[in-house]
Amino acid sequence: MSNKSSEPAVVDLLRKLNRNLEVVSKKLDKLIEVERSGTRFSRPSVEVPEGTPLDVTTLLSLPDHLRKSALALSSLGEGTATDLSKETSRVRAVESDYLNQLVSMGLIKKKRKGRDVYFYIE
Amino acid sequence: MAFHSYKGGTGKTSLVVNLGALYAKQGANVCILDYDFRAPSLNVLFKAKPKLWLNDYLDGRCEINDTIVDESTKYDLRGKLWVGFANPSLEALKDVMSKDRRWEVKALSKTLAGKKEIIEEKKVDYVIFDTSPGAQYSSINALAGADLVSLVMKADEFDLEGTKELSKGVYEALGRKSGVVLNKIPLEQIAASGGKEKFGKEIEANVGLPLVGLIPCMCELMAAGGKSIYTLDKPDHAFSRAIGEIADAMKVM
Repeated sequence: MSNKSSEPAVVDLLRKLNRNLEVVSKKLDKLIEVERSGTRFSRPSVEVPEGTPLDVTTLLSLPDHLRKSALALSSLGEGTATDLSKETSRVRAVESDYLNQLVSMGLIKKKRKGRDVYFYIE
Repeated sequence: MAFHSYKGGTGKTSLVVNLGALYAKQGANVCILDYDFRAPSLNVLFKAKPKLWLNDYLDGRCEINDTIVDESTKYDLRGKLWVGFANPSLEALKDVMSKDRRWEVKALSKTLAGKKEIIEEKKVDYVIFDTSPGAQYSSINALAGADLVSLVMKADEFDLEGTKELSKGVYEALGRKSGVVLNKIPLEQIAASGGKEKFGKEIEANVGLPLVGLIPCMCELMAAGGKSIYTLDKPDHAFSRAIGEIADAMKVM
């Protein structure tokens, strides 16, 4: 005799497992991207004298990944890491790391507005 | 898109105006911006005396859409042709020369934001920057604001070497899709290389950028001295046909 009454429960459980696996897979993708970028916990790779303005000559001296973030911020004026990640098509965590590198280089600034952190060029 | 060159006198302005006019004639909405703040010339061709200049926008005195002038009514166009002019007065030229790096930071931001505002408010299909030659702040700001860059050159040794440097140091660094337009090329130079195609491939290999178009030297254009928009006034002229080829090539870059 087949246990037909337990089939829907099994299917439901399998669907839940599948959803959880998709979430884990997305998180793994993000971790892999951060790992490949090699900059999650790294210092900025370019030394910039204090007070250097973020004009095009400075932009051209930046490594590609930081230049992309800097140009996107120049275009928006100010924005959160989420706003910038939409411009650069990068994952938010990666974009946040790059923006914080630019802050530590003194090229851009950040401020808190409520719960959000906004990056801007002075 | 932005048109740039290593040296002056390569014919950028003429290319920009004729290309922009052609796109507008074909039905697109176009905005040309004169970003050659050190030697503005679009105001001469269009005989314009705008109330506000692009200089005013970059100095924060107005919005960018306050500076652009609708030139469409002067011509028989299916689309719109807007133009933003740079101030040619001596006072403005001296002011441009005095700008510091802090101002240039804001100018870059305003260039990037201004392009977006023009596209959104005026429903423009193409924004075309005409730039100063060489490594000027305003030119590189325009290149940073463009999706496509066309480098205009005359294929002499001075141009070739300088263009290679620009290609490596600026265009590649900015990550913009770039191509070369060879302009004012003597017919003898083309013939000596074995024809247009071979000549074009030689330059491509030398500069490391794909060829977008090749325009032979045409004395009657130089004699006309920027008084006429050939793609509107003389659509069957060889120059207009060459511009047509460049227009098609840039649509698929």
